[in-house]
Amino acid sequence: MAALIEARGLTKTYRLGQVDVQALRGADVDVARGEFVAIIGPSGSGKSTLMHLLGCLDTPTAGRYVLDGEEVGGLHGKRLAAVRNRKVGFVFQTFNLMPRLSIEENVALPLKYRGGIARRERRARAVAGLEALGLGHRIGHRPEELSGGERQRVAIARALVGGPAILMADEPTGNLDSKAGAEVMRTFEALHAAGNTVILVTHDPNVAARAERTIEMADGRIVA
Amino acid sequence: MTLLESILTGLDEARRHLGQTLLALAGVVLGTASIVTVLALFGGQAQLTQQYLDEVGGAGTLIAGDAPRSLAPTARELASERLTYRDARYLRARSTTLEALAPGWELNLPYRANGRDFSGQVAGAVPDYARINAIRPMAGRWLSDLDLETRSRVMVMGWKYADSLFDDAASAVGRLVNIGDKQFTVVGVMEREVFRFASWEDNALEYRNERAYIPLSTAFSQFAQTDNLSFMTLKAKPGMVEQAEDEVRALLYARHGVEDFELRPSGSFGGGGESGQFLLLFNYIFLVVGAISLFTGGIVIANILLASVVERVRDFGTRMALGATPGGVFTHVLAEALVVTVLGGIVGLAIGAGLTGTVARVMQLPAAVTPGIATLALGTSVVVGLAAGLYPAVRAGRLSPVEALRYG
Repeated sequence: MAALIEARGLTKTYRLGQVDVQALRGADVDVARGEFVAIIGPSGSGKSTLMHLLGCLDTPTAGRYVLDGEEVGGLHGKRLAAVRNRKVGFVFQTFNLMPRLSIEENVALPLKYRGGIARRERRARAVAGLEALGLGHRIGHRPEELSGGERQRVAIARALVGGPAILMADEPTGNLDSKAGAEVMRTFEALHAAGNTVILVTHDPNVAARAERTIEMADGRIVA
Repeated sequence: MTLLESILTGLDEARRHLGQTLLALAGVVLGTASIVTVLALFGGQAQLTQQYLDEVGGAGTLIAGDAPRSLAPTARELASERLTYRDARYLRARSTTLEALAPGWELNLPYRANGRDFSGQVAGAVPDYARINAIRPMAGRWLSDLDLETRSRVMVMGWKYADSLFDDAASAVGRLVNIGDKQFTVVGVMEREVFRFASWEDNALEYRNERAYIPLSTAFSQFAQTDNLSFMTLKAKPGMVEQAEDEVRALLYARHGVEDFELRPSGSFGGGGESGQFLLLFNYIFLVVGAISLFTGGIVIANILLASVVERVRDFGTRMALGATPGGVFTHVLAEALVVTVLGGIVGLAIGAGLTGTVARVMQLPAAVTPGIATLALGTSVVVGLAAGLYPAVRAGRLSPVEALRYG
């Protein structure tokens, strides 16, 4: 399969007061299209930083990063936002749904930021996405009216609505009980089976075990 | 982020912080209302002053008169004949800047008519006087050129004299009236002249109702030994007031050899009277209160927005992760500020319009909220919104997605 992610020597240095903190010390990552990869490691190992860089939320201090055939390592601001919008779908540990929007409005947000898509079509695609994840009966509700597992599935629908190249999840089961967590993991597996590329950040070995491949991190380096 | 969503979120934020929002809104509402009212009243005052100026000849009308004599007059001053009818004819012949000119003469003399005696003002006038001052007879006619040439003993009465001497003002026409021992025929009665700067003020034009006009030439031949004038009304050609003033000053100086005359704009002594000053002070107080209210309202709005931005840092981070650009987030926050202030501006405008209507009715002023004032009021509220929202919006737009997502 073709390479979707090709990162070479990714480095990220934060400046905290007088001290430079090296969160990432030169990581090489390759992910093929359709893979299901888990990034694991203890907290402070740099796994979140790596995900932020791979997800185009942040710009590397050094290194090259080609995502879906596009060189994105040097992009900032508006252009980086556009890449995020088109190529990356994010799922967060705390769901991060907008509390005052209905769930279909939440799901439609990435389409809104993309621009040029009519309101009616945005809504239609959001509703279709929610129905595909078994949330059709919840349309019209606000996030607070849903269970944790349902909220995370709304977040997954939102991440998928724009047809991204990769789905990135940061501890997606961290705030869920084991039953809801298992259900969310089954959703990821189904999405992977349907051909989606999934990258998952976790410190839970059981979650990591569901992936095809793991990238293990320690001290800002990939160790396995 | 679309504008509509920004506005809806703005309203939603406003609702969530209802107490603070009401406070901020009160500031903007109060500020806008007082500024609207004050500007409308200012407009009313200006309109009144303009009306008064029009009554006394309009802008561009000058009054010339004798200057007070010095305590120790020089030989030149003593030699000058002061302002005379000949000066007036000379100015009319030589001036290039004057459209019309009306020499005038006034004296208090005993009247006798209809079996009644009293003392009052007699005004010697020329036909142009009525044209410059836009006054008309309500009955009979005004003085004519023929009256002036033949020094006829005709009289045009002010409304009040005619009204108090005869049963009704119009019936005075054709009657005989004595001034001193000279008999005059009443040929006309002037319209009643009324102008009040405020409902409780005296009629600023009452002096015109309490006099009678006779031809200037008759006045000189019957009641004076010289042709000295009391004043001259000078109407400059349009847009030539300053040139006219310079020219008249130079021409009169050449004839008198000394500046023993004064020139001033017509109506400059009136200006609105005591209540005008009072209203002006009032207006300034309101204007200051309005500005302070708006300023305070703006600060409160900025504060609320800052707090709500801090509260929603993670939301903004999420939106950025979904593809919102820094500019989009900036616009979003700014729009929220605008929603609150423009809302306040509209309510303030409505209250200001109501207040203006009430004040205008009670004080009988021609004050009104013009489209210009409304635009200015709403414009001000937009400016306050932009100013208040700018800093919070910059803060929100500068958030880094990673840090924003980590926040809280």
